Amino acid sequence: MRTINLWVKDGYLSTPDGNSIYFWGFAASPDAPAQVPGPHLVVNQGEDVTVNLVNQTGAEPVSIFFNGQRGVRTEAGPVRPQYDAQGRLVSFVDHAEPGGGTISYSFRAERPGTYLYESGTNPHKQILMGLYGVLVVRPLDFDRSVPGLKTAYGAGSGTEFDREYVLVTGEIDPVLNAAAERGQPYRISKFRPRYWTLNGRCAPDTMLGDSLPHLPHQPYGAMVMAQPGERVLIRLAGAGIDNHPLHPHGNYSRVVAIDGSLLRNGVGDRSYHKFTVLLGAGQTCDLIFRWTGLGYTPANPVPVPLPNRRNMGVGDLGFTMWSGSPYLGVKGDIPVGVVSFNEMGEYNFMLHAHEEQKITNWGEFPGGLMTMIAIYPSLPPEAGSLS
Amino acid sequence: MAQVRKRLGATDGKIRMPDGSEHYIFGFVDITGVPDDRIFDFRGKAQLLSPLIEAYQGDEVFLTLTNLGMPGRPDLDDGHTIHWHGFPNQIPVWDGVPEASMSVPVARDLTYYYRPLDPGTYMYHCHFEPVEHIQMGMVGPLIVRPELEKRPQYARRRFAYNYAWTEFDREFLVFLTELDSTAHRMVEEAQPYDWTEYRPDYFLINGRAYPDTVRREHESELPFQPYSARINAYRGERVLLRFVNLGFQQHSVQVPGISLTVIARDAQVLRGTAGEDLIFERDTVYIAPGETLDALFTAPVPGTYPLYCRNLHRITNAGAPMGGMITEVVVRPRPLGCPPVREGENE
Ligand SMILES: [Cu+2]
Ligand SMILES: [Cu+2]
Repeated sequence: MRTINLWVKDGYLSTPDGNSIYFWGFAASPDAPAQVPGPHLVVNQGEDVTVNLVNQTGAEPVSIFFNGQRGVRTEAGPVRPQYDAQGRLVSFVDHAEPGGGTISYSFRAERPGTYLYESGTNPHKQILMGLYGVLVVRPLDFDRSVPGLKTAYGAGSGTEFDREYVLVTGEIDPVLNAAAERGQPYRISKFRPRYWTLNGRCAPDTMLGDSLPHLPHQPYGAMVMAQPGERVLIRLAGAGIDNHPLHPHGNYSRVVAIDGSLLRNGVGDRSYHKFTVLLGAGQTCDLIFRWTGLGYTPANPVPVPLPNRRNMGVGDLGFTMWSGSPYLGVKGDIPVGVVSFNEMGEYNFMLHAHEEQKITNWGEFPGGLMTMIAIYPSLPPEAGSLS
Repeated sequence: MAQVRKRLGATDGKIRMPDGSEHYIFGFVDITGVPDDRIFDFRGKAQLLSPLIEAYQGDEVFLTLTNLGMPGRPDLDDGHTIHWHGFPNQIPVWDGVPEASMSVPVARDLTYYYRPLDPGTYMYHCHFEPVEHIQMGMVGPLIVRPELEKRPQYARRRFAYNYAWTEFDREFLVFLTELDSTAHRMVEEAQPYDWTEYRPDYFLINGRAYPDTVRREHESELPFQPYSARINAYRGERVLLRFVNLGFQQHSVQVPGISLTVIARDAQVLRGTAGEDLIFERDTVYIAPGETLDALFTAPVPGTYPLYCRNLHRITNAGAPMGGMITEVVVRPRPLGCPPVREGENE
């Protein structure tokens, strides 16, 4: 039995180009700020889950739609659509009225996997306003301390992993958010995103750490960090209304599950390798990324000499994430005056939407739906663990 | 193991659409073997697509990028890079991401080194301000041929991957991009462009819009768009189509009358971890930016089969039908005296 309480509140998101955008989001406690995405919900397969929702906004009813969960109920019975007095559909499921209304959902988390939870009320508006999050269901036999049991889909499913990250995509049209703030109408058919987000942040904020004081409503960083050879489970979730082709540099990934469904047919493996994954709106996709490298070290040097760094473009944007060396764990020369965010000679591989207009903030590169996969020579075991 | 040495110049240029309009582009041009004192003759001669890069699995590829500058934009001192999109286990210095390694300033060179171990269909592009440099045309195809072709028993036969069932007689590229003429004009005029307003009005296969797609390669009237998109085969031949999408939109491509067997996606042959057969048939290839896909078909009854983007607003040139992403598969009867391509397929 697991009880989760969520509060719906509002606040202002920050974008790296200095914009402040009104939003609605879920909060983990009455005193906590609303956040995008909502708190990661991590439960165990077979667990009975109750989610209590308090709608503290004054504007609209709010509900939660648990994608991929079966038999979701409220106190009154199975969830059902809600209509207004004129018979117009308002919510796909029972909702909490504005101004402090509550609703309680319960379900049994039957299947392991990665799922979205999101508003089922005026979803074309409320999801874009930030009312979404990710639910992770651990397999029955999950045990993070036993190598063969630290899996996404259970022992023997071929989904063993060393570290895991959640990456949720979203889009923002500030005109929609401003209309919601003023209580004005907005035509979703005119939707024109100017920002694209990973874990609620636009690049380069995606590459910053978790829970930063200056991003109170965007607590989740989107850096993927690992050591060479580690199996990195990347749980992708498409929370917006658009489809995104996501391209991790550095290596292809093995696609192991879609929508919480393991790519396996009896004993037959149906997983496959991709260097670009098209993530559909509302879809989730679990990747296992593993980078083993090419074996170059100072003792086994790269076969072409690198030119003098002073003759090259290093830090064209005013900063670099490069170490200055071709070798992992080695710090080389960075031209004077260039700020390097490289810590210990780690390798950075970009992960981004390949519809490249989406890696801008309102048209300015770099930004948007972009982050890095950083391969560190060594990394503490806590990095890349969901609580 | 052989060595492949190639040198690409990065510069700008102009391309032409079938409606007579001209568009400013950035791109690469092949300057392999050109003496150093002559390379600047290639300024302003960028081509779309950029030159095909080919290698065998296991080859050593030394790819030198020289930034020749932009005669059409003398104010612009942008760097350039080469990003081999999809190269497994890459290291940052050869990955071409300026933020994670380095870019090549005007009048400088950088030699990228690759030893490709996975055959297949890839793409390369510049990764410097990628939204601008990719849209402006710094995109090209990249093919890694399987080691299987070098085995004596397979001499003079051609394969897409290291499986005998990936054999083909002819291969063609279907490389999809879009062109937003407003963006190209703004870049040419050194005006800022809001990339969130991206709205392409030309839709290209192999750097050309229909009907130029079905014209021959190296047409004199299309000096900087050397690649034809016409697909020619004799009946019964096995034809490999190498699809690449390096635009910013998802495309759904059809060839009515021809069923495609999808054998690989993203340069990975469709086999499960224990050898499971994951190949599938499609009449439609739905492909996203940054994806590649290899499909085989057996050339059917002679005739002309249109291949086009089923997102039909994209078979236009600046709004005018019929143009854009259309080309033709032309199947001819096998000439008399021409031996059957393979046993059992002599219809
Ligand atoms: Cu990239
Ligand atoms: Cu790419």
